[in-house]
Amino acid sequence: MSDAHRRQALASLAALDRRAFLRLAGLAAAVGLLPSGCGDAAPALAPPPDLPLRFLTPRTYAVFGAAAARIVGPAGALRIRARRLDPGARAEAFLASAPTLASTLRQALLVLEFGVPPLLAKLRPFTALDGESQDAILHELMSSRFATKRLLFGGVRSLALLACYGDPASREWIDYPPGHPHTAADIEAAHHYLPDA
Amino acid sequence: MTLREGPRLRADALVVGSGAGGAPAAARLAEAGFEVLVLEAGPRFSASDFLSDEALMTARLGRTGATASGAQSLYAGVCVGGSTVVNDALCWRTPPEVLERWRREHALSELTDAAFAPFVEQAWADVHAEPTLRSHLNRNAHRLELGARRLGWAGEAMPRNVRGCARLGRCNWGCPIDAKQSALVGYLPRAERSGARVLADTQVTRVRVEAGAVTGVEALRLDPASREPLGKIRIDAPLVLLAAGVLETPALLLRSGIAGDGAVGRGLQLHSSAAVTARFAEPVHGYFGPTMAYAVTQFSDVHGHAGPGFMLENTAVHPLVTAAALPGFGSEHARVMEALPHLARAVVVLRDATRGRVEADAEGRARYAYELEPGDVERLRQALRELARAYLAADAREVILPVHGLAPIQNESDLAALDAAPLDPTRIAFLYAVHLFGGAAMGGERAVSACRPDGAVWDVRGLYVTDASTLPSNTGVNPQITIFANALRIASALANRGPTS
Repeated sequence: MSDAHRRQALASLAALDRRAFLRLAGLAAAVGLLPSGCGDAAPALAPPPDLPLRFLTPRTYAVFGAAAARIVGPAGALRIRARRLDPGARAEAFLASAPTLASTLRQALLVLEFGVPPLLAKLRPFTALDGESQDAILHELMSSRFATKRLLFGGVRSLALLACYGDPASREWIDYPPGHPHTAADIEAAHHYLPDA
Repeated sequence: MTLREGPRLRADALVVGSGAGGAPAAARLAEAGFEVLVLEAGPRFSASDFLSDEALMTARLGRTGATASGAQSLYAGVCVGGSTVVNDALCWRTPPEVLERWRREHALSELTDAAFAPFVEQAWADVHAEPTLRSHLNRNAHRLELGARRLGWAGEAMPRNVRGCARLGRCNWGCPIDAKQSALVGYLPRAERSGARVLADTQVTRVRVEAGAVTGVEALRLDPASREPLGKIRIDAPLVLLAAGVLETPALLLRSGIAGDGAVGRGLQLHSSAAVTARFAEPVHGYFGPTMAYAVTQFSDVHGHAGPGFMLENTAVHPLVTAAALPGFGSEHARVMEALPHLARAVVVLRDATRGRVEADAEGRARYAYELEPGDVERLRQALRELARAYLAADAREVILPVHGLAPIQNESDLAALDAAPLDPTRIAFLYAVHLFGGAAMGGERAVSACRPDGAVWDVRGLYVTDASTLPSNTGVNPQITIFANALRIASALANRGPTS
């Protein structure tokens, strides 16, 4: 990849909006910042065999799971590793209600996985990095001077938080009261916690 | 895919959308003897469908959009009853300063306080707006109130349109006991009792106009479960009222070829919002009780206040919205989330000066061009600062601002970091808007407005806009009463003329 190509890619980053993200990924692939093949991630990050993927690929499912584990923090990460929390499955369900976001998310996850300098300060796929290095990449995105990189962080973070805290399994580690099957029980629970009328 | 052609229906009046702009109009027209058909893109639910599941209900009841830059989220209810099903039931009368501005800047001389007030009072009574008793406030509201009181700020409990509220804390997911007097339990049943029909799962794709007059609409019938199109229908009517909300009405006009010489789509305006979180030593349990109920009005610029133009309102502490508004990620984010029962939250309701535009892309889908201008960003910074001060005054252990990279605030001197931080929408954790205005604004001058003062689309006979798209600016307060009132005003004038068929 020539310096001119690299400069062009960087200049593009500075001015891109979200809709232009697809063009960014295309450009990055064209100039060699992204590999064209996707392959498979580590088996521990693979989707369960009984989960049909409509919107994510096995690779982007793995990237999303790895990123979500770092974003949600230790208690959530523990449950993701133990397969008690499945961010990828939750993301699939969310994308079913917002299918137009699917291609943008896939591209964002591919950039996160395969982006190399100057796009991202790493030489290996995101899923192959240790936790500390993954945090460094997420921090780089969050605090970047390029709005598009911050948007990438914001988009993946939002969906990861939605996937983790939208799962009833999260209630146990944040001490959020369970929902009740009957409204009367909900009312009783609410009044237990409310100031006296 | 070729969709099956469905039946061809007809009505005296079609109302496109069943929320705050559509439901009152449907009720008014039906009670005046019109044969009314309400078309709603979303599904119809009842109280027993509203579950205690934040993620599920947020997705099921509404639609999330984003500004074109991706920096700001937009949310609106998409179900029978529209955003009134998912809002916080807050009621404010239309500020006189807003009406004065509409008269002055938009040539709406007929919108005097005296002319508009009867519709506001009608809406107020219709939806059973009532003062919120102090005894109904939860500890979340108490924390904000305490801070405001210690700082000597003006504030008040906000009226809410509820009847028999059990303080479940679930206003945003549909009220499971029908205490909230949303359009789903108020205006729409009223309309149906007078013969109106509500057709859910029906997405209007185009308004039909022939020889300068509306003749009806084309729509898709959607599968209630998959939301996939099942077939097309065509509905004829000499009167069509658009009330699909700002997320949809302007785009519907544009893809129908009704651009109003560039006026349609223009003037999009929001109340931009971001939430501040505070951790207290004692439990707050902010997920129970009215989701929003107390407002700091000190900084408002309406209803007699002369502040910079924002309100601070306590808001529910459910996991998804709380997690989204906390900055950063990982251990620090999780540390605060694990203190959920001890968290209080409040939201900035900024009266933006920014103007944007709704556009339709090549496929007719809406695009919301809206870049928060620097002056608004600075007022947002000020609002976050004041909110942090309120929580510190209320003895918060720490205040977490929704700005990536900022450490928690433990005393006022820490706020220097906020003053120094680069701040733009992409650095804010969850900048959003649920109050959207404009895109098909009414006005007295054809060249700069999409609709006439009576809500009629210029140059298209029989076509009206009755939702917040037709409001010429934001209101500085939660807008549902203003939207109800304006819809009643427009529909009343039509009702007085009688069915045109």
